[in-house]
This record gives sequence, structure tokens and C-alpha cells, in this order.
Amino acid sequence: MGVVHGDLMTLNIGPQHPSTHGVLRLKVKTDGEIISEVEPIIGYLHRCFEKHCENVTYDQVIPYTDRCDYIAAMNNNFGYAVAVEELMEIKVPERVEYIRVIVAELNRIASHLLALGAFGLDVGAFTPFLYMFRDRERILDLFEVLCGARLLYNYIWVGGISHDFPPNFDSKIIEFLDYFEPKIDEYNNLLTFNKIFIERTADIGVLPPEIAISYGVSGPNLRGSGVTWDLRRDDPYSIYDKFDFNIVIGEGEMGTVGDCWDRYFVRMIEMKESVKIIRQALKTLPSGDVHQALPKKIRPPKGSIYKRTESPRGDLAYYIVSDGSPIPYRLKMRSPAFTSLSVLEEISSGWMMSDVLAILGSLDIVLGEIDR
Amino acid sequence: MTIDQIINWIPFSADLPAIAFVIAASLCAVTVFLFIAIYALGIIYGEVKISSFMQDKVGPMGQGVGFHAGKWGLLQPVADALKLILKEDIIPAAADKKLFIMAPFVVFIGAFISFAALPFNQNTVVSDLNIGVFYILAVGALSVLGIILAGWGSNNKWALYGGMRSAAQIVSYEIPAGLSIVTAVMLTGTLSMQGIVEFQSGTIWGILPNWIVFNNPFTFISFFIFYISGVAECNRTPFDIPEAESELVAGAFTEYSGMRYAFFFLSEYAEMFVISAVAATVFLGGWNSPISGFFDGPIWGLFWFMGKTLSLVFVMLWFRWTFPRLRVDQLMNVSWKVFLPFSLVNIFGVAIWSLIVG
Amino acid sequence: MSKYFRNIFETISTMMTGMGITWKHMMNIRKDNVTLQYPEERWPRPERDIGFDFSEYNIIRSRLQVDIDDCIGCMKCERACPVQCIKIVTTKSGAKGEDLPDINHTGITSSGTKKALIVSRFDIDMTECCYCNLCTYPCPEECIFMTGGPNSHKHPIDYEFSQYDRNDLIYKFAKDVEEEKLSKYLPQKEKAEV
Repeated sequence: MGVVHGDLMTLNIGPQHPSTHGVLRLKVKTDGEIISEVEPIIGYLHRCFEKHCENVTYDQVIPYTDRCDYIAAMNNNFGYAVAVEELMEIKVPERVEYIRVIVAELNRIASHLLALGAFGLDVGAFTPFLYMFRDRERILDLFEVLCGARLLYNYIWVGGISHDFPPNFDSKIIEFLDYFEPKIDEYNNLLTFNKIFIERTADIGVLPPEIAISYGVSGPNLRGSGVTWDLRRDDPYSIYDKFDFNIVIGEGEMGTVGDCWDRYFVRMIEMKESVKIIRQALKTLPSGDVHQALPKKIRPPKGSIYKRTESPRGDLAYYIVSDGSPIPYRLKMRSPAFTSLSVLEEISSGWMMSDVLAILGSLDIVLGEIDR
Repeated sequence: MTIDQIINWIPFSADLPAIAFVIAASLCAVTVFLFIAIYALGIIYGEVKISSFMQDKVGPMGQGVGFHAGKWGLLQPVADALKLILKEDIIPAAADKKLFIMAPFVVFIGAFISFAALPFNQNTVVSDLNIGVFYILAVGALSVLGIILAGWGSNNKWALYGGMRSAAQIVSYEIPAGLSIVTAVMLTGTLSMQGIVEFQSGTIWGILPNWIVFNNPFTFISFFIFYISGVAECNRTPFDIPEAESELVAGAFTEYSGMRYAFFFLSEYAEMFVISAVAATVFLGGWNSPISGFFDGPIWGLFWFMGKTLSLVFVMLWFRWTFPRLRVDQLMNVSWKVFLPFSLVNIFGVAIWSLIVG
Repeated sequence: MSKYFRNIFETISTMMTGMGITWKHMMNIRKDNVTLQYPEERWPRPERDIGFDFSEYNIIRSRLQVDIDDCIGCMKCERACPVQCIKIVTTKSGAKGEDLPDINHTGITSSGTKKALIVSRFDIDMTECCYCNLCTYPCPEECIFMTGGPNSHKHPIDYEFSQYDRNDLIYKFAKDVEEEKLSKYLPQKEKAEV
């Protein structure tokens, strides 16, 4: 009897599939349940973001950045505004900085809630997903009060923000935070420490730190591999250096450092850190006019800028080339989810069918940002 | 009321026994089918509502004027059933037509004919077979054949995955389930369902009902092993890997639509009932009242039987809306590395126990 | 061996914890329920002070409204739109600031500006609108706003404006005027071309 040679079966997961987080297609070679090769195929959601930006003025780019990472639109606005401000050398008022940090961290919580809920859904837990959506909804309600929109805010502008906080808004945020903090324990009891969930995620899809760094993975995925890298601390932009917060890293509590569970748990703890930042910011929120530094006409000087910020998915960077006209000459967006997806091929071969989808879920990709 | 009694009521049963049997059997079959249909409507409503309550929402609620789902959404399952009936029945061009058409019915038959041996109360059982438990376990395994047919006949890779997973799962969970039943059978000394229930009347030391689950520590564990294996046999979360919707789209049922899809669901719900009913009958005293000597009689018997069964069905729903799903190899691990050794130990333990105590 | 039993114990205990949480939610559904019965109950609009102050708009990103009587045809909103969903065509009116009753034209806006242009076309394609609200800020007369702006008393606030036909979502705000009547006000040279 010789060795049994089995043919590999090619399977297309997506573009229409319940757990590809959008319109991603995974070309998978399988040997029964075992996956031997995964090839992500992207581009189904390509909307020519970068080319569009070469045809609209600087302030008109902001609605487009909303639509890249639609889960964390505030953070995208934030990164773009910071980049253009640095190019134009605008100093924004103190109050604007604080408000920006507060909304960006609120949006980070919302984004992480969605990521964790969808990950739970990927491994088959339905109820935690709805609990997390319930709480995310409260954040969206806050944003609706703030700027009228629930998902695509166009709130953070170059040189300022579109609206000041409405009266009593900070007490509303505090109310939400007080409500939200105990809920994290509920998620933990319901899902995080559930043995089935641990079995499904611990030791699965281990992303070693070297591979993560060499692929350019950033954000919670990198921190899940045990690398302390957070642009809020390592390359502080805005006023993040004023706040006291911890950088959460994966410790391999349930398995190996860098497994799916670590990536999941880093996000869970990061929400607590965000709550901490928001509380500090609300305590010291200065008063002032938020529209003071809004430029009449955005016409940056000739030159270019590469500015990176920490979005919920990792290092979000904008490379802007200006030729002195009110329209950007070139705008490039470095998308964190794109690099996170690129590592999927590396870490998911050899795992089983169910694991690949769990790994994909743990990487927290947003197709709007990958395809742009 | 058994099938034999119905045959006796038929006036010409002595002259034409075959025809009388067919009439009586179809009467029973229609009754059981109606029961399953009504129960399915109820359990669909229950699942929708219970899942909603667990998820901080209220589920279907009918309000206002116009088309709506009735008071508290009571008409929702009717609307669901109507929708499934009215939907287009699509058979994929590349499918193996015969197998594709056959599969839902094979799955349904497995659950349907199990009802023949379920004792609803002291008198009502279609046929009190002397191998009742054995019969139910045997025909319950038929449904796996249907799921494999569905997976193969659909000519779809997802469906094939689902079918293969289902086969591996049900085959391995049959064994701990069967071995757990053996512990009860060892105590009662009979395979007849009515016999097992009658064994469980009375009390233990005057306090606890004399149910097999309380008989000794080994049967206590056996009950949970049987019940959880049963959940796995019904393909319910956390063991729903054959239709894992986030992995396999809809698993073996991917290509099905309309009424055929509804039949898979009907049989899933029917099987949940059968498993819960067997667990209730064999371990929880069937139609026996929990307080011995009170609330006895045929009507109370039906009440206790349905109450016990539906509570177990509720626990299955509760499982589904709480837990994540196991992976296919972990599922096998649980079966072969945990349940099988435990049930073997249980059999040994019960044997020793009945030697010493009984 | 001890790990084996610890695993089983952990599984059972964590599963019971999870089931306890869902049970609690099921029992407290009256208190915990977060959904609304949509057609009967509606999500309340967020409350903010409505005022003319730039910073205190009660904005709701919803359908765009235009008070055409106030529009002076400066085209600033058309230029601000990132998706070019606003289309404006203007004609010079002969008499600045005069009412022209035959084409239903008001000469002076509510804030007292004399209009020099007749807006003959003001279309907003709401299917293209990206609800960024950028068009409302540059308007000098505050006549274009998302629902609930300073002039919300003039329009019902609703965010349900679905239509059966796409063309019904192209809102035509300009006054419905016949071509001949309008052509009277076109400069003679252009008229010859038309």
C-alpha cells in the first residue's frame, strides 16, 4: 500500500458568504476539512477613493474618508484632518483637540464592539453579537445628538469640528460610560471565558510577532501578538500624550501569545482603556470656540505629508501631496485592515475550515477600507 | 389508546385484518402528523420569542392596522409556514434529482416514525413495542441518511461538507446516547417504553420521585450524557456544525428552498421533541407525577409528559441562544474522549450498584 | 488526568454562567427591551436647541430642503457638494430686487437681500446625496438645509422619504414656470440662440 494521494478541492468562500465581513472572496484549497492554502481576493468594493480625492477640494475629501472605514468614521476623519493640519501648519484650539479625542475614543469602542460581536458570530454565538450591537447603538445615538449622523459623520474638519458639544452632552457621555463598563464583564462571562469559545479560539491562528511586524500588521492585531506598539503613545498626535492609559498586549492567557483569543481579548481590554481616556478628557475639557481655527479656504502650501494615526484597526496613514491648489495632487491612504488581511494567507494554512473563518473574524477587517 | 385498540374498534377487523390495520395505521399517522405540525408551529413561535427575550428584544409583535403578526405576534409562525409553502421550489440543474427530492422526506421519516413508540400517557401510545427504546434509537438514526443524501444530491460543495460532517457527528453520538439508555434498561429490565415508565412510579425514601435520574449517581450522569448527545443528534447549537451558517452557509440544506427546506426544519423540531420525550420518559419518569400519588390519571399524565418534554425542548433552545459552536474535531473529541468513557463507567457503576443496593 | 477533569468542570461551570446570563435577560425582558415597534413607536429625534446660531443647528442628516424664495442663485452649495448632486441654472433678471409675479419670482429674500438672478432650475438628486451636510454651511441666505434646520417650521421633519420611482427622489425646488414666460427675462442675445 502506497501513500494515499488526495486531490485538493478548490472552494470559493464569498464574495457572498455570511462571514466574510463584506464582499471578500477567499479562494481556498482544502483537503477535506483541512485548509492548505488561502488566497484572499479583494476589489469587490473598490470605489476609487484615492482617484476621487484628486478631483475634490480638501474639505470635500472628508465625506469620502468616512466611507473608507465606515465602522470607525470618526477616526478616519481625525487622521485626515490631522494630516492636512500638519501640512498647513494650523494650530487647532484646545477644546477641539479634546472633543476630537473623546469622539475618536467613543468610535473606537463602537468599532471594537462590532468587531468582537462579529467575531462571536463567526464562531457561532449569536446572543453576544446582539448585546454588543445594543451598546454600540447607544454610541451611535450619542453621535446623532452630536452631529446629526449615525454612521458617516463628516464631523472632524480640517482646523476644527463641525459642531460644538450640545448642552449637557458630557453628562450624557458619562451616563453611557457608567452604563457600559459593567457590560464588559457581562460579555466576558457570556462569551470570553466560555470554554467552548476558548477551545475555538485559543491556540488557533497564532500570529508570531516577527511575522506580524514583517507583514506590517498594526493595531490590536499586532498588540495581540505581544508587541507594545500604539501610535497614541509611540508617535503621539493631537493630545494623546496628556492622557494616562495602558497599552494592552496579548499575554497568551489561554494559549499561545498571538492567537485568536489574544486578539479578541486585547480589543476587549482596549475598550476599558478608551473609557479611561474619555473620562480623563471629560474631566479636563476646556471651553472655547471650536470654529476659531477653521480656515476660510483650504489651500495648503506645496509639499507633502505622511501622517499616521491609530485607528481601531491599526496604523491609519494619509500621504498627501499638495501642489498649492485647493485640490490635492495625490492622496494615498495606508489602510490597516489591508495589511491585516495580507497576513491571513500566512497564518491560516493547515487549520480547519471553521478556524479559517475564526481567524478572519479575529483580524477584524473592513472591506470598505481594504478596497477603498 | 394503542393501535391494537383502534383495530378492535373497527367492526370488520376480524374479517379483513389487513384493511383494518391499514385504516388504523393511517389514522395514527395522520394524528401524529397533525400533532407534529401544530407542535412545530408552537415551537417556531417559542424559538422566535425565547431567542428574542434572551437578546433584549421582544420578537414579532402585531400592532396597529393592516397586515401584521397578530396579538404578540401569534400569527408569525403561520406566516412563516405560508411563506415557505408559497416559495418557489428550486431544484438545481446540476443536482441529482432523485436524491435531492428524496432527502427531506427521508430526514422527516426518521423523526416521524419515532413517535410510534412514545407513551403520551398511561393509555396513549401508538404501539407499545416491547423493544420501544431500541426502536426509537434505531429509526432516529435514519435522519442522517437523509442529510447525507441532501448533501450529496445538491451537488454543492457546502452541502457536501455539511453532509459529511453530519454523518460523522450523528454516528459518533449514537454510541454514548445508546450506552446511556443501557443504564436505564439495566435497572428496569425492559425495553418497552411503558414498562420503563411504570418502573418509575413511587418514591425513593418517600421524598424524591422514583425516577431513574435520581436512582443512583451513575444514572444521574447518564441522563446528561444522553441529553447532550441528543442535542448533537438534532444538530442544534453548540453542535450545529452540519448547518453552521457562518461557515457552511447553510450546510447540507444550502440548495433547498420552499417546502423542502421547511421539511428539514419540521424534522429538526420533531427530532428535538423525540429526543426530549425519550429523555423525559426514560430518565424523568415519563407521565408519572413528580409528587407520587397526586395529580395522577390520564389527563395529568399527558400534562406531565408534555411538561417534562417541552421543558427539555426549551433547554435546547436556551443552549442555542447562549453558546458558540464547536469545531468538528472538538465535537468528536467530546464524544469519544468524554462521553464514551463516562457512559462505559456508568454502565459498570450501575451494574455494581444494582448488585449491592438492588 | 487532573487536567481532563478540570477541563470538564470548567466547561460545565462556564456554560452555566453563560446560561445564567441569558436566563436573567429573558426574565427581565420588560426592563431590558431595547427595540421599538416601528410604525407605532418611533425613535425620538435628538433634542438640541434650535436657533439661528451657526453652532446650534438642530441638525438631522436627512432630506435636503430649499426655500426657493430665499435662494439668490449664488451656486455655493453646488460647488460645495462632493458628489455633484445639486444642479442649479440661473438667469439674470432684468430688474434687481423686484417681484415678477408672472413667473412667481420674489425679488427680496427674507433677510432683505435683493436678488439679481432668477433660479430657473434647482434640482437635488437625493439618490446621489451622501448626507455630508457640506452644502448647508456656505449658504449666505441659509435657505438650503437638511431637515430640521433654522426654518424647520416651514417643513415637516421626517426621515421617511422612500419612493417607488427613482425619479421621484430628484427634488425640483425651482418654481414651476412655463418656458415662454421665462424666456421674456432672458437677455436678447441668448434668446436668439435658444
